[in-house]
Amino acid sequence: MTSAWTIFLLRMIAIALLALIGGALFGLTGGLALACAGLLLVVMSHVANLSRLQAWLKQPEGKSLPDAWGAWGDAFIALHRLRRDEEMQRERIVADFEVFSQAAEAYPDGLVFLDADDRILWCNRAAESQLGLHGEADKGLLIVNLVRLPRFAEFIANARPGESLQCRPLGRKDLDLSLEALRFGKDRKLLISFDVTQIERAATVRRDFVANVSHELRTPLTVIAGFLEHMLSEPDPDPAASRQPLEIMDGQARRMLSLVDDLLVLSRLESEGHALREETMDVRDLVFDVADEARRLSAGRHSITCEVQPGQLKGSREELRSAFSNLVTNAVRYTPEGGRIVLRWALREGKGVFSVEDSGIGIAEEHLPRMTERFYRVDRGRSRETGGTGLGLSIVKHALLRHQANLEIDSELGVGSTFRAYFPAWRVTPKGGAT
Amino acid sequence: MPHSEHFSKQYDSDLEDVRSRVLQMGGVVEAQILAAIECFSSGDTERMTEVTDTELRVNAYEVDIDDLCVHIVARRQPAARDLRLIMGVSKAVTDLERMGDEAEKITRMARLIHERKGPQIPLQAEVRRSGDLAVAQLRRALDAMARLDPDEAERIISEDALIDTEFRGILRQLITFMMEDPRTISTALEIIWVAKAIERIGDHAKNIAEQVIYIVRGTDVRHTGKERRRSATDEGA
Repeated sequence: MTSAWTIFLLRMIAIALLALIGGALFGLTGGLALACAGLLLVVMSHVANLSRLQAWLKQPEGKSLPDAWGAWGDAFIALHRLRRDEEMQRERIVADFEVFSQAAEAYPDGLVFLDADDRILWCNRAAESQLGLHGEADKGLLIVNLVRLPRFAEFIANARPGESLQCRPLGRKDLDLSLEALRFGKDRKLLISFDVTQIERAATVRRDFVANVSHELRTPLTVIAGFLEHMLSEPDPDPAASRQPLEIMDGQARRMLSLVDDLLVLSRLESEGHALREETMDVRDLVFDVADEARRLSAGRHSITCEVQPGQLKGSREELRSAFSNLVTNAVRYTPEGGRIVLRWALREGKGVFSVEDSGIGIAEEHLPRMTERFYRVDRGRSRETGGTGLGLSIVKHALLRHQANLEIDSELGVGSTFRAYFPAWRVTPKGGAT
Repeated sequence: MPHSEHFSKQYDSDLEDVRSRVLQMGGVVEAQILAAIECFSSGDTERMTEVTDTELRVNAYEVDIDDLCVHIVARRQPAARDLRLIMGVSKAVTDLERMGDEAEKITRMARLIHERKGPQIPLQAEVRRSGDLAVAQLRRALDAMARLDPDEAERIISEDALIDTEFRGILRQLITFMMEDPRTISTALEIIWVAKAIERIGDHAKNIAEQVIYIVRGTDVRHTGKERRRSATDEGA
């Protein structure tokens, strides 16, 4: 400010001096004319700078500030500094905002910001896919117009803390959501959607499991209880006549026993704390052993053969035996009389492959993905009458998992099935030591 | 939204409110139809009463929204797009209400089908698929209404033929079942009712899409193009 006044004062003195000299040389008129011309020049230079400033203010982007002399120059420099600071600040804010929105974008749960009228201000990608929103295009739309779940409007209007809405978006069979609404700032709301599909599914599996176990145990118990009641009500039971009921009861009791055994095996396999007992065994012994067991079960109704390459396998003998034997007994159970069952052990690309091929009834394709679920039965009646517990393949799956092996099922209805277990190379040695 | 002369905030929010309520009603109807189709697949009687109970809510919505529309017309005398919005919305409400009736019809038939002993007709999957298609059409129509998106509405209208094709496919299969075993006739007739109800739901969804085009562009696309050609061969809407 002071410098502007000083410059102005200096200029005025210069003009006055000029006018005085002019006055001395050309008289009064000449002096006045010179003074006027000097003042005019000063005013013109101001107007010129002002118009440059105006032009710059209209379109500040890209253009550098005009250079000027004196006070205007100082003002321009100050303005330039101000602008640069502002720009830097803006860049910082933009960068901060970027980081925030990128973080929110990367957030795995759905986030939607809503204004006081529940219009969408912003949402992340998870929210887009979970709630069917269209990000940019849906900005400013009422959320209740797009998320039209019957209870949602009330839920979002209240937005009570700690309240959550469990729902399945209309038309989505594969998605369960838990929604929460939080108030923040001035009349703003944050809607969070959590994908709880897996949790819901796990809960369903658990419920189903308990129901299935109870059902499976109840059936034989009902039979036993029925016979017992009948026998107790007979005043004088005839030992010969009670022979057959006793045999049936014995069979049912055994079934329960094998079910409970299988459950115990399964729970032991599933408990992670229990370490795998690693031992090296001869595959040939193991497979022959399992084949013998199968022959006993088959009692000559099937032709059971083994094609085994010599080799050794590392793992828990007990668990592998139970896995293999479950696969083989399944083959025996589901292959009609006169059928053929082949047990194989071979090396394929370094991996050890144990396979059981049968000429049985086969499995329709739609059942294959669910075969290893506990108590999953393709045909309820049939599998129970053949004496299965419904846990065999679950046991196989878990035992194999503990050996880093995976199970593959090939099957064609009416033609037969092949179950293959692939063991990783490091568990397998091609040649047997002693044999 | 560009507005003509009426420029009060209250008026805007009244219009927004009507549209919002129609969409809410749409959500309720959508859930109701889904439940009805579920009933048909599973025979779950508990859900059947749920569908019937929802019907009351849907009817209440209809009365409520009609009332609001009359009030807005009487008090504000809307013009141009605002008027079209009111008109389109009140027509969409009627469509939604009818859809609710169709849903109820589906559950009624489902009850009959599942209570009847005798030979079953394994068409659950087909009926379900066409039902899912119809519900998806409705959902998209409502989305188009919420976003006022006439392009999406046009796509919905052009895809209505898909549901009609499904319907005819189900009909053909039912005829073969009935010819093979006359004991299936009564069940087959009931399945026809269900399939027809689903086909109608698809038509109503198309109507809503047409209203969206009317609201945004001011052009009436009903009974034009494909529609006329189709109604010559089909029994029509």
